[in-house]
Amino acid sequence: MRSFFRNWWRLLVAVALLVAAIQIFVRPSKALERAEPVRAAGVVLFRPFYSVADFLRGGMSGIWSRYIALVGVSRENERLRKEVMDLRERLHETRDAVLENRRLKDLLRYSETVERRALGARVVGHDVSPWFRAIFLGTGSEAGIEDGMSVVTPYGAVGRIHKSHPGLSEVLLVTDGRFAADVMVERSRVRAIAEGVGGNFCRLKYVSPAHDVAVGDRIVFSGFDGSMPKGVLLGTVVSVDRPKESLFQKVKVQCAVNFQDVEEVMVILSRPSVPFRAGKE
Amino acid sequence: MRYFLVLLASSYLGASLCVWGLSGLVPWFLLPDFPFLAIVFSGLFVPGIGGFLCALPPALFREITTSAPSWSMFLGSMALYFASREIGRRFHLRNEPALLSAVVSLLATESFSVLLLLSLSGARPFSFLWGAQEAVRIAWTSLIAVPLFLDLSVRWRRVRE
Repeated sequence: MRSFFRNWWRLLVAVALLVAAIQIFVRPSKALERAEPVRAAGVVLFRPFYSVADFLRGGMSGIWSRYIALVGVSRENERLRKEVMDLRERLHETRDAVLENRRLKDLLRYSETVERRALGARVVGHDVSPWFRAIFLGTGSEAGIEDGMSVVTPYGAVGRIHKSHPGLSEVLLVTDGRFAADVMVERSRVRAIAEGVGGNFCRLKYVSPAHDVAVGDRIVFSGFDGSMPKGVLLGTVVSVDRPKESLFQKVKVQCAVNFQDVEEVMVILSRPSVPFRAGKE
Repeated sequence: MRYFLVLLASSYLGASLCVWGLSGLVPWFLLPDFPFLAIVFSGLFVPGIGGFLCALPPALFREITTSAPSWSMFLGSMALYFASREIGRRFHLRNEPALLSAVVSLLATESFSVLLLLSLSGARPFSFLWGAQEAVRIAWTSLIAVPLFLDLSVRWRRVRE
């Protein structure tokens, strides 16, 4: 028996470590929070590298946008002017609808209880492992970022803060397999659970065949589960499959944000309020 | 000490370059996992407590740069070290095919374990395209590993002699 352990102790240690890793993976332990200073020290080691990389990237994009990309800028300027005019017209049209919406909100005593503050942050890196989809932000807990906060861009949702350290935050993207949130179809108000499926896609779970979902529908976060602010765009439906033998439709959503190209994001510094609870308080 | 510094520097610079420098430009499956290679090398070629100490920093780098639940990647990486140590002791890894098959099997085993774990937990962010990309990553990382490992192990032997 003793010779067996002497011969195979390395393999036994490997198996024990693997079992411990699986246990932590399935059920993260609170006891490991004590080891967080070690991780924070590791993050500090990387800070010079990602700060320099970010600085160089910013400098290069500055040279590009200020000098090289100025070719043809007058044509683009003219196009943008026209676009601004169109948008102004549209704004006048929607202002009435916004006012009406406000009055209805007051009438129904739905009000936002928490004033949301947002913080701009730069993307300094991506998780390059094959199994997880995440990005790193160059701003961390020193700026008030906490785990679970929502990360968005003007074009749509990016994800949630997974871990925050001093000087660095890790964002779990909406396309990661571990991401799930309550969403709804903007047009028909059908609710579902969105789950990441990798690439630039999510899928909608628990959509009954009777529900009205069509290709091209915009999917927004409902805000009911408190994980993301209400109304933030997730993406657009690209395929709807109604298998005969299944209880639910298979709905695939293309995310509004291209996560490879995103450079700046906004972190919403307060968790979104849950409507029915906020009313009681 | 020299080995410790070489593995520390290569895994730090490799991880930094991939995660903070090239990640937005180059697809993930073309970026080799340098901390992984450093851990496997220290398991296969650096004997005793020295190998263990050499494997600790790359395991920490993997933990920081991967969005897995806290410390699971670190423990998984240390399990990888002990498994590669066992392979290094049982098999004579001095020629290219043996080394290539050892690295490929370790990469594939790790990938399959995480895949299985994620699938069991209900997440299914994997497709045929992902499988093809992962195969490219494994092949690419292994092909880089063989000349690197052989060169470093020969130097190590010369230093010892």
